[in-house]
Amino acid sequence: MTTSTQTQNMSANNFEQCLKCSICTVYCPVSAVTPLYPGPKQAGPDGERYRLKNKDFFNEALKMCLNCKRCEVACPSGVNIGDIIQAARIKYSTHRPSLRDMMLANTDFVGTMASPFASIANPVLKLKPVKAVLHGVMAIDKHRTFPDYTNRKFESWFKKEAAAHQAHYEKQVSYFHGCYVNYNYPQLGKDFVKVMNAVGYGVNLLEKEKCCGVALIANGMPKQARRQGEVNMASMRKAIAQGHQVLTTSSTCTFTMRDEYAHLLGIDNHDVRDSITLATRFLFQLLESGEIKLAFKNDFHKRVAYHSACHMERMGWVPYSTRLLRMIPGIDFVMLESQCCGISGTYGFKKENYERSQAIGKGLFDQIKELTPDCVATDCETCKWQIEMSTGVTVENPISIIAQALDVEETRRLNNA
Amino acid sequence: MKFDIIIIGGGLSGLTAGIALAQAGRDVAVISAGQSTLHFSSGSLDLLGCDNNGNIVNNPLNAIASLNASHPYKKVSNVESIAQEAKQLLTEAGITTTGDATANHWRITPIGALKPTWLSVDGMATMQDAGTMPWKRVALVNIINYLDFPTKLIAAGLRNRGIEVDIKAVTLRELNELRKSPSEMRSTNIAKVLERNNLLQGLADAINQVTVDGNYDMVLLPAVMGIDSCSAASTMLNLIAPEASYVATLPPSVPGVRMQTLLRKRFAALDGTFLTGDQVIEGNFQGNKLNSVKTAKLEGERLEADNFILATGSFMSRGLVADYNHVYEPALGVDVDSNSLDRTTWAQLNVTSAQPYMEMGVTTDTKLHCLLGGKPVSNLYAAGSILSGHNSIKLSDAAGVDMLTALQVTHNILNQQ
Ligand code: SF4
Ligand code: SF4
Repeated sequence: MTTSTQTQNMSANNFEQCLKCSICTVYCPVSAVTPLYPGPKQAGPDGERYRLKNKDFFNEALKMCLNCKRCEVACPSGVNIGDIIQAARIKYSTHRPSLRDMMLANTDFVGTMASPFASIANPVLKLKPVKAVLHGVMAIDKHRTFPDYTNRKFESWFKKEAAAHQAHYEKQVSYFHGCYVNYNYPQLGKDFVKVMNAVGYGVNLLEKEKCCGVALIANGMPKQARRQGEVNMASMRKAIAQGHQVLTTSSTCTFTMRDEYAHLLGIDNHDVRDSITLATRFLFQLLESGEIKLAFKNDFHKRVAYHSACHMERMGWVPYSTRLLRMIPGIDFVMLESQCCGISGTYGFKKENYERSQAIGKGLFDQIKELTPDCVATDCETCKWQIEMSTGVTVENPISIIAQALDVEETRRLNNA
Repeated sequence: MKFDIIIIGGGLSGLTAGIALAQAGRDVAVISAGQSTLHFSSGSLDLLGCDNNGNIVNNPLNAIASLNASHPYKKVSNVESIAQEAKQLLTEAGITTTGDATANHWRITPIGALKPTWLSVDGMATMQDAGTMPWKRVALVNIINYLDFPTKLIAAGLRNRGIEVDIKAVTLRELNELRKSPSEMRSTNIAKVLERNNLLQGLADAINQVTVDGNYDMVLLPAVMGIDSCSAASTMLNLIAPEASYVATLPPSVPGVRMQTLLRKRFAALDGTFLTGDQVIEGNFQGNKLNSVKTAKLEGERLEADNFILATGSFMSRGLVADYNHVYEPALGVDVDSNSLDRTTWAQLNVTSAQPYMEMGVTTDTKLHCLLGGKPVSNLYAAGSILSGHNSIKLSDAAGVDMLTALQVTHNILNQQ
């Protein structure tokens, strides 16, 4: 018994491994800007000891946690601090999500509602009086610009313009596009299809795709998140049965489906997890093994500053995207110092969080403004909104940058596509 | 993923080697499992404070000759020039220091003791000679409610040396805010609040007000300034009327965090790849070579390199692990010199006596190659606190061993080709 206690760590989320070094508090972006948040050490392993004894020790201030996991990345003892905090919120919080939280959390429902009316919704969402109502009644901060909704969803474009010729390719992948590509920025999905086709892969959509649920988890709706997660897992199982990998272009969706489904929602994803991967990782690995080749335009030049999104950092996958970008000869690459941008999905949209959200990101915005790159590259779409709004610099997914730099004809020829 | 050199460990030792090798044009990756012990730094770097018999060392370079043959310094070819190189590397990273390897100076510990040291980060309170005190009257100024700076102990230590010490305390409205969450009233949060809200002048005014009439020749402050840059730390000192300098606090250490950040920035600027929060879990050895390593997060990925450096630190950083029966090196399983399997011989009951486990570490040949089954691995080196054969608490040599062995390994690798 004694030996196993010492050799096998038996506490949930490793919380007993905490040696109280307080390193995590140094890297928490929320602690840095507000004293009202108890900080990762206190909210995580320290508080957990009390909560296990008595649930009354739960503190609603834990909802200030961005779930950025920067504390976990910093912890030298492998404590899953962010998971401890989110699990405590799911288990103990009695706070019921407001209409506003439900609206923000249901990214796909709102997207479905807004897209057909994009020409109306976009200008309307930008109108001052509408913003005032959102700010006053809905508590969505008036400084926020809603990402534009598109007139034509990615799915509709794909079915009409791309689906038919995908079967021509010998090799096939499935694509989890996510709400953002579908409703707000179909161009990224189009770029993805362009790149995959050029290297000889046909693209398939999943039979059914639901929002990954990250915003539902953050807004206290784990049950709905679990239901949606199960739908995604079922569709992915079918794709995997056909021999497909499931590719994504969002680090947060990827992280949620690979890690948070099992850790926070109790969804059994063990048979699916390894097949879900980020497009940059997929491409990098094929390039390195020599299975595919990329050719780039001679006249492409861009000064790109890479921002490590929190969940990208947590997955440890930053080098896949950065090494891939560095392969493009026309790119002048700068690595931004890794910091949270402050948006954390829907968090920064809420009136009560707006100021904090901007204060968190300030260091990053200052770095970007000083560098004045042609664009910022990042693997997360909510970082894109935040950085564009706060710096005025365009933000692009690495896949879009590759699509712009790619010599499509030559790449096709090299890959016999 | 392929690199020229992979360094396992992202603390002082790993980053020193990383910077030196990247500077020599190599493609280097550093894999870091959480943040390092630099977060407990005193703001000074020790080379050799005491000899084997516990006598204070004045000239580290001379005293190194008398160390045991097992000491890692015995594998450093030219300590004097490598110590120079280390100081230069710090300067280039933006960490300016005073001191050199031929003459120790003295630093003040957070509990008021004086310790001999090699380099002190600019702004830290130091003395040339522990016999003659440079100050007669000192104001020791703390921030109200900041608990990691035990002023009474520090004052007692200085008074023992014949210095008159007055303890003062100041605060600002914004710092009072921070007190709302006592667990977050930490050095690094104080530093962020002060620097990011332009409060340095305000705090300096408050300090000047309580010290103006005291005829002090030195104002000592807790080292809680300068988290983002050295300049905030020096600006603060310039704003204070008599001479002022910093005394190290209990962890987390602001000068230590700053060193870590600046070294990482320097490494990134040299195009080094930093893999954060990841852990090497397996090495793939073939004959007397290490071909690749696997990490916990980059599942399915083989990280290949021509040369590897193991710089994962000692027990505190989990570079070494002890269970009931063994002391082992968990990342690659290389040979560890644990003297005896009988755990009762690992420690002395009297906590302050020299602890045998402190001398445990990985064994290496004269070129600092790690051993596997008693045989050297031709492309795997060890550097820093993971090395066996010295007690860094008794000898006060931790930072010196970290940097000097890292640079020696760098030379060994560059000369081998
Ligand atoms: S960094 Fe990890 S070990 Fe240190 S206090 Fe935080 S949770 Fe505990
Ligand atoms: S997940 Fe992010 S916001 Fe939450 S405690 Fe950790 S570092 Fe702080």
